[in-house]
Amino acid sequence: MAPSHGNSHSEAAKIEQIITEIFHKSLQIILEVRAPDTSSRNFSGEQAMSSPSSSSSSSSSLRARDKWFNLALRECPAVLENLDLWRQSNCQRMVVDVVLVQRPVDWDSVNFSPKGNSSSKERYPYCWNSDQDEFRGQVRSEKTIERWVLQYESRKVKDNRSSGSRRSSNNNSHALYKKSILLLRSLYATVRLLPAYKIFRDLNSSCQIRTFSLAHRVFSHDEPFSRREQAEMQRFGFTPLETSSGRLCLSVLYRSSELDMSSESSTPMSPHVISDYVGSPLADPLKRFPSLPVAAPSSLPFSRRHSWGFDLYRASPPLVSFSPSPSPTYSEPQASFSNRSSCHFPPMSLPPHPPETSLAYKKHTSFDYCPSPAFSPSPSASPPICIPGSHLSKGLLRSESAPVNIPTSKLGSSPSLSNKQYLPPSPPIRSTRSGTLRTDNCTGPIHTGATVEQFSPGKDEIRKYFGMKISANCSPQISYSRSSSRSFQDDFDGSDFACAFDVDDDDMTDPRSRPDSFDQKGHFCEPIEPGGFFPIRKSHDAAVGDLVRMLKKAPPLRAEFSNSLNVPQASGPEIWSNSIQERKAAVQHAASASMTSSGFVTLKTTADALEELQGYREMKNLLFEQGGKSYT
Amino acid sequence: MNCEVCQLNELEVEHFEIREVLRCILHTVVFHRALGLVRPKDIDLELFEITYVQCGDAELEKKIDEKIDQFIGWVEKHPNKKSQICLSFYEVKNRQPSWFIANKVERLYWEQWYINLNVAQHTKAHSSKSHHSKVVVDPRESAPEERSARRAALEASLREVLFQIIKFVNEKKDHVPPIPTLEGVVCFPFEITIPSSSDSFGMDIFKRMLQTGHPTMLS
Repeated sequence: MAPSHGNSHSEAAKIEQIITEIFHKSLQIILEVRAPDTSSRNFSGEQAMSSPSSSSSSSSSLRARDKWFNLALRECPAVLENLDLWRQSNCQRMVVDVVLVQRPVDWDSVNFSPKGNSSSKERYPYCWNSDQDEFRGQVRSEKTIERWVLQYESRKVKDNRSSGSRRSSNNNSHALYKKSILLLRSLYATVRLLPAYKIFRDLNSSCQIRTFSLAHRVFSHDEPFSRREQAEMQRFGFTPLETSSGRLCLSVLYRSSELDMSSESSTPMSPHVISDYVGSPLADPLKRFPSLPVAAPSSLPFSRRHSWGFDLYRASPPLVSFSPSPSPTYSEPQASFSNRSSCHFPPMSLPPHPPETSLAYKKHTSFDYCPSPAFSPSPSASPPICIPGSHLSKGLLRSESAPVNIPTSKLGSSPSLSNKQYLPPSPPIRSTRSGTLRTDNCTGPIHTGATVEQFSPGKDEIRKYFGMKISANCSPQISYSRSSSRSFQDDFDGSDFACAFDVDDDDMTDPRSRPDSFDQKGHFCEPIEPGGFFPIRKSHDAAVGDLVRMLKKAPPLRAEFSNSLNVPQASGPEIWSNSIQERKAAVQHAASASMTSSGFVTLKTTADALEELQGYREMKNLLFEQGGKSYT
Repeated sequence: MNCEVCQLNELEVEHFEIREVLRCILHTVVFHRALGLVRPKDIDLELFEITYVQCGDAELEKKIDEKIDQFIGWVEKHPNKKSQICLSFYEVKNRQPSWFIANKVERLYWEQWYINLNVAQHTKAHSSKSHHSKVVVDPRESAPEERSARRAALEASLREVLFQIIKFVNEKKDHVPPIPTLEGVVCFPFEITIPSSSDSFGMDIFKRMLQTGHPTMLS
């Protein structure tokens, strides 16, 4: 008695285990070809050379669960998740709904949210959406195209203690297992014959953008279909499996019109222009802007000129051409500077290019650094400007493979910029660039230019960006000239810039002898409408006025004058007279002081001072003439 | 043990469609009878939007393709005939030899599947005998619309045949023998009988009767 009783218990346990595994395997078979993201259906690519049953080694490689019912399938974590959830509820009934989700046509209105969206979880408590897409309440239509119902109807266990029960009970589990294999074989073939399989294949294989997707939900209690829905669906039922303790039933309700649905939904989206799209050099490194004179393709395809590439600004101001990615950034700041600066860049004051900068510039001029017209966010459509890259290292260039969100925190008082219009999402440059400080600082005015209405950097900002103590109207160009031979780090130390006219000798070179970039800069001198980055053309008088202001604020020459003979740094019509008077007094002082100083002090007479003044006047006139020529 | 017989619906096929149709049907049946450990392999038909399942056993595939090639050869020699292919599953049992039975091994057929094909009359295109041959399109095709309609009808009929197989497998389970536990055995032993070139189809049945010793039940 005891052995039979024990056997009956073990038999019941075996049957229960078989039933449980049937649920698991059924769910796996169904979801394998109904959930595109969990698809692991075909072993053909990974199939062993020989049949799995031909060698024990290949069989042993399968996990224990795979061998259930002699049907080796890959494990899907999502299936396990669904099973875990399902087991918490009624373990004797499993309903799997396959839902055809119609996506909205307007992609902009679709907000893709990460997994865990509450609304979708409420709808699909035990499942995940295919394609890992979730729509934040934007789902247009959902239609259940299949409903698989697997239910185990248990019945009162009969008393198996009678004679012969042991043998029959043994046969029960074996017979049940064999029949389960046949059932699951049928299920495996059936899921591939139903119309929904075609939709699954389309979603899996096609690269086309689909307006539909497949979702599923697994639960224990289904919502009954309406009469209308039931009328539209067909039923296919598998022969129930009879056991000693119950009956396992599997059936499916399916729509036979899914083929039409999928064919209609497979129409590709009509193309439309994304006006504010900013691409990436990775996608289109050789994309050119038609108006740009840049000829040669970039040797460094990822070397984009950014507005935050302050090195470029240092080297030379005017001509900047942009790659598609950062292009919006470049054109926008021009407006801010045009508003802020009252002076334009006289060509004569354009910085000469030290060897390294000129070389780098030449390198960069070969870059295909052209924004597409669509990228120019400025309504003025300011022409692209080529900024030669003087100090950009290769690492910087390579890191600039994508547009970058300029960190506004480093900009100090710069407001939060709405980058969506001008800056596409991208990894921050900060982490990838070597000269981060300079990069960030230099982006300030560029960014603010992008939103000129919102931000008007003060003098401190300008000083920070251009590394010099200049007035708000001071020409940044002069700062470039100064910084061309300096390191960027130094440039941000405003104390180094004592005077705007403290330029190198080579700053006075003929603008016509400039590097190629400036030759190309037909853009630079052209009127740049508000919205551009660099100062636009200013009146001649405004430039003179700026110079005068600079001179006024220039530190006095008295201390220096007593030690050495220094050329006055700036001159202006008003300042000249003042400075002459000052110098007269200074000369007198110096003359008296020179007697007691060392041999470095030379006595200067008034005549000498006047001669010096004359020289400065001539210099001034020359500068103005050159400036006038460039702007006429 | 009863021998369950399933007569599948007749299919009107063209010559170049024979291979695909037969592969689909035969593999589907075999998959339901390959109760050993299998790694299923999905196969998409080229001519129809149907995916069937193979066991993934190379020997099975080879055996089936060889029979299909033989059948195609027979069809070429006997055009315009309705043909039938019989897929039989049997058990091997030793039997004491007698004077009229040479073989000691007896086959006990426990299931037979009859695939009925009506090969279209105008199919004359030559088909390759390679296992991986592409489907040869009949050069003498009718109007495109007519052909597509016929193709669609055949696809629907083929799908019905597959469902017929599934239903039969589900409804009849008790006659299936115990699953072989031998290593390397994927499927119950089976044979595919095609009409022979010389003898009539009835002669084939008689030969089978001699081998099995059981009367063949024809439904």
